[in-house]
Amino acid sequence: MINKGAGDARLARFLVGGPPLLFLVIFFVAPSLIMILTSFRFPGEFGGLAPVTPPGDTVAGEHGLTAEAYQFFFGDILYAEIFLKSFVVASATTLICLIMAYPLAILIARSKKRFRNLMVLLVVLPFASNFLIRIYAWMIILGPESGLSHFINAILGALGIPPVTLLFSSFAVLVGMVYVHLPFMVLPLYTNLEKHDPSLLDAAQDLGANSWQRFWRVTWPLSLPGVFSGSALVFIPVLGMFAVPEILGGTGDILIGNLIKDQFLGTRDWPFGSVLSIMLTLAVLSVAGLATWFSRFAAGQRA
Amino acid sequence: MNGLRTMGSPVSLVFLLAWLVLFSTGCARHDQHTIDGAKNVLHLFNWNNYIAPETMDRFEAFCNCELSQDYYSDNEEMLAKLAAGATGYDLIVPTGNAMDALIRQGALKPLDKSLLPNLENINPAYLDTAFDPGNKYSVPYAYTLTLLGFNQEKISELGLPVDTWAIIFEPEYLEKIRGRVTVLDSQRELMAAALKYLGYSVNDVDENHWQEAADLIVRAKPYWAAFSNTSYVKELAVGNLWVAHGYSNDMFQAAFDAKKTGRRFTIGYSTPKEGAVLALDSMVLHRSGSRPDLAHQFINFMLDGKNSAELTNLIGSGNPNMDAMQYIRPEIARNEAIFPDPELLTRLEMLRDLDRKQRRLLSRLWTEIKLR
Repeated sequence: MINKGAGDARLARFLVGGPPLLFLVIFFVAPSLIMILTSFRFPGEFGGLAPVTPPGDTVAGEHGLTAEAYQFFFGDILYAEIFLKSFVVASATTLICLIMAYPLAILIARSKKRFRNLMVLLVVLPFASNFLIRIYAWMIILGPESGLSHFINAILGALGIPPVTLLFSSFAVLVGMVYVHLPFMVLPLYTNLEKHDPSLLDAAQDLGANSWQRFWRVTWPLSLPGVFSGSALVFIPVLGMFAVPEILGGTGDILIGNLIKDQFLGTRDWPFGSVLSIMLTLAVLSVAGLATWFSRFAAGQRA
Repeated sequence: MNGLRTMGSPVSLVFLLAWLVLFSTGCARHDQHTIDGAKNVLHLFNWNNYIAPETMDRFEAFCNCELSQDYYSDNEEMLAKLAAGATGYDLIVPTGNAMDALIRQGALKPLDKSLLPNLENINPAYLDTAFDPGNKYSVPYAYTLTLLGFNQEKISELGLPVDTWAIIFEPEYLEKIRGRVTVLDSQRELMAAALKYLGYSVNDVDENHWQEAADLIVRAKPYWAAFSNTSYVKELAVGNLWVAHGYSNDMFQAAFDAKKTGRRFTIGYSTPKEGAVLALDSMVLHRSGSRPDLAHQFINFMLDGKNSAELTNLIGSGNPNMDAMQYIRPEIARNEAIFPDPELLTRLEMLRDLDRKQRRLLSRLWTEIKLR
């Protein structure tokens, strides 16, 4: 009886865990392995890859395996710079999203139940229109002939400051990044904050805590899991984003995503593109690992 | 995380199934080519908006067949689709260097010139290119120049020259148009402009010359608003940009848009005297096509001056067809940016493909340009 029960449990665990595991294997492990293999090959003459085995009567060229692409990556400080730059942009975006999303999430979590769903709907409503159209809309909003630009430059002019251009700048990239990713921060924060027991705050107040102390000593520590998952949901996609800098960015706004895209389209250098992607994956995994460790650490502190 | 776990396996399964269904329909599409191959269909793999609708209708009536088109918006996309196994296309319209790749891959069928009497309409200057000596595989269709578009009123007000690349590279001119200039977000095109300005060939692969060109670009970069491949059309037409490095047919579009919306300025464009990139698109027969008979009919039909002229009248493309000139609207035929005089024509060059080492090197240089 006991054995049978254990077997059932194992079967149940397999049935529940199997499909997601299969999903991970098909859509993460297998592509990663393909990418690793690709990174050790030679780029093909017309794009694609050169053959691993010696070519027969086809076009002569290099074949086999090589670590050349890795040498190229590590032989140049340039690529470390661009990683660093992407991390700075991703961190800034995450921080701004957090600062903007937190009050909103609290507002939603503490408003009346019948309004909450409507407010959450409003947060995700922008997803109803295409991502690129929303980014193009920002081109109009930030453009030099836009009302916003005229308004800002009128104020700056009155203060004797030379006019600024908003579009095609790192500022525009940051605006676009924050705009696109804000819902990904709001939703996990809201989900977390909604579950807080209001009586904890009442208790804190009875014990003499002022409103700041109630937030900093009660709400904030309890919301940390939401903060971490929201941050990961913003930070990781921003690292790989190429469309926003391409459309809103100026002449210096190149991120790691743009570089990878370039390798596959313009330069037709799949092995080097794979090396860059692998490095990005490693970077993202270490950030995710770090976030997990932090949230465990934070949870441990509370316990 | 909890949310995901409680979603459970049925949902993931549904997702998986949805993916599979999506993928399988994606593959199944190509089978249709063989099914309707029996009822006179010509499959054309063409650029977006690269044939006039009235030309299409007339061809369908002429050949008693149906013209089915799939579209691409750049050569790399077309090559990638073919490399991924897309088949069933009778005709493709690649640019020179992409055609070169297709020829060397053995992906094309040779033409039967006895079926193409109208070939004599093509200006010999556009025949016998380095990509396809003797035009064994290709017939010129239309061309584009990479040149400078500008806001006519602003430029004459500021007294800037528009017949030289200097306007996008020299700080003395750029000073006056800071933040109102864009250049193409293309390694090859921008380097070509810089190399031409320095007096080299667009196909120069000397590393020192590349470095010189990169230095020129880095020096000019702070004055540019952005690297732009498409948005400059709109931005020029609404007056946000004063100078743009771009393609002649895009400039034609921008000029048209500015006029149509009644702006108080006009958009002009001209080819710099140092020379520029000429991109010649040619009709070629893909190996996988099942109707070479219809494909030859189509090519010969498009070589007819009247049919060829319609495309130029529609999108302002350059036209290598001498017979077409009489049907092209006079204001386009007179436009020297679209139809360069013979003297300038000698300084226009077509981009040749780089080998893999050069590509990687150029990409590195490009990354440095962007990061600096």
